[in-house]
Amino acid sequence: MKHLAMLACLLALSAPAWASDHGPVFGYATPVNSQGEFSFDTGLFGRHGSLGTQFSTGSQIGYGLTPHLTFTAFVPAMFGSGSLPETRIYPGGEWAASASWRFFHSVTQVGKRLEATGTLGIVVPGPQTDSGVLGNLHRAPGIGSSLAAGVASRSHYFWVGGGYTWFPEADNTRRPSTTSWSTVYGYRPARLRRGYDQWDYRGLVEFTGEHTSPVRLQGMDVPNSTSTSMWLGPAILAIFKDVAIEGGVQGPVFRDVSESVYGRESIRFAINFSYLKYSSRTSTH
Amino acid sequence: MKGILLLSLFALSSMAAHAEYEQVNMTVFGMDCAPCAHAIHVSMTGIKGVNKVNVDLNTGLVTVQLTPGNSAAMQQFNQAVEKNGFTHKDAKVVVRGRISGTASSPVLEVTGTNDKYALVGNGANVASLIGKTVTVSGTLPQAPRGKVPDTLKYDSIAEAK
Repeated sequence: MKHLAMLACLLALSAPAWASDHGPVFGYATPVNSQGEFSFDTGLFGRHGSLGTQFSTGSQIGYGLTPHLTFTAFVPAMFGSGSLPETRIYPGGEWAASASWRFFHSVTQVGKRLEATGTLGIVVPGPQTDSGVLGNLHRAPGIGSSLAAGVASRSHYFWVGGGYTWFPEADNTRRPSTTSWSTVYGYRPARLRRGYDQWDYRGLVEFTGEHTSPVRLQGMDVPNSTSTSMWLGPAILAIFKDVAIEGGVQGPVFRDVSESVYGRESIRFAINFSYLKYSSRTSTH
Repeated sequence: MKGILLLSLFALSSMAAHAEYEQVNMTVFGMDCAPCAHAIHVSMTGIKGVNKVNVDLNTGLVTVQLTPGNSAAMQQFNQAVEKNGFTHKDAKVVVRGRISGTASSPVLEVTGTNDKYALVGNGANVASLIGKTVTVSGTLPQAPRGKVPDTLKYDSIAEAK
């Protein structure tokens, strides 16, 4: 417990990946905050390739306005100098704010939910510039959207999702627009389906993919600057009441990426710490 | 001294007549993980008068025990579930209240709240209890979101001690 607390403090100082509280660490998922719930995520995400290593950290705060509508804001920080393709599944150097609406919610039995959530947000350049070919771009704000659907139960989790982030052209440059997708399967073994006053563990397998459009510089597309890659890997989520620690790693299963422009990206990893502050408020009669 | 004695008697008599929920056991659908249960626990514990809450993730059963003299209303228990994105099904309650209405249409008034239920049961002699304070054990059927059921199907009913 002491070591976990130390790890949590360390992560809080270093700060999160894009993962949110009790969903997967990489892929899209449907959970949103409870009404009145604040969620705080902080973590560390890394990518390593033949042209360098890039880390990003950041902190995300979310607030549930209703049981099905959550607003989030994300502030990142980057370090490292890797020349790597644009990615939207993982945090980059942009600040982001979004609203997530769980528009479908079917509670069918004890411990089981079917649901679908859509997210729309804005992505605003932060004070840090990117490295590699992306570092030469005028950084105009973009619009991001995503859709996820799936099932959550005491034993199994399954989510599919996709997202699209669009950036406009500015000063004859344009950041790549990105199409992302993910499939996540999670499992909680029978002996770990315990009371909520004990640590709750689940294992996840996350499959993600992204396609990025060409980088545009001086009004022209940079040759070989599109990229398509798919990634697969495990993640583990551990939760105790209102704190969650999650970590995962992914390796490439498909790459159609120019090695001269972006290098050969070989590994992605993330570790995330969450604190969930639930509201105890109910109306009086 | 006489005044204190009178005040004490008044307090005791009002305590005896106080209408309130003593226990609420709700089945909740949709909780899959520890934070779900913790959220319910926090919300239920936040209701004034709640003494103890237990959440069983594998059965979905949320057990709420209340302190004597509370004025918690059923709507608050339902809200505690709904605000966290879950669904409450039938609730088994032990509740103290006053019987009003008629012999053919008895009504239980939980006078510490605005809750009123038409009593539906197994033919116990409710007529003799009209106007009296009773303790009822029974089931509140599932109501639409944001609503409280208007009937209470009782298993047992007895004059409160």
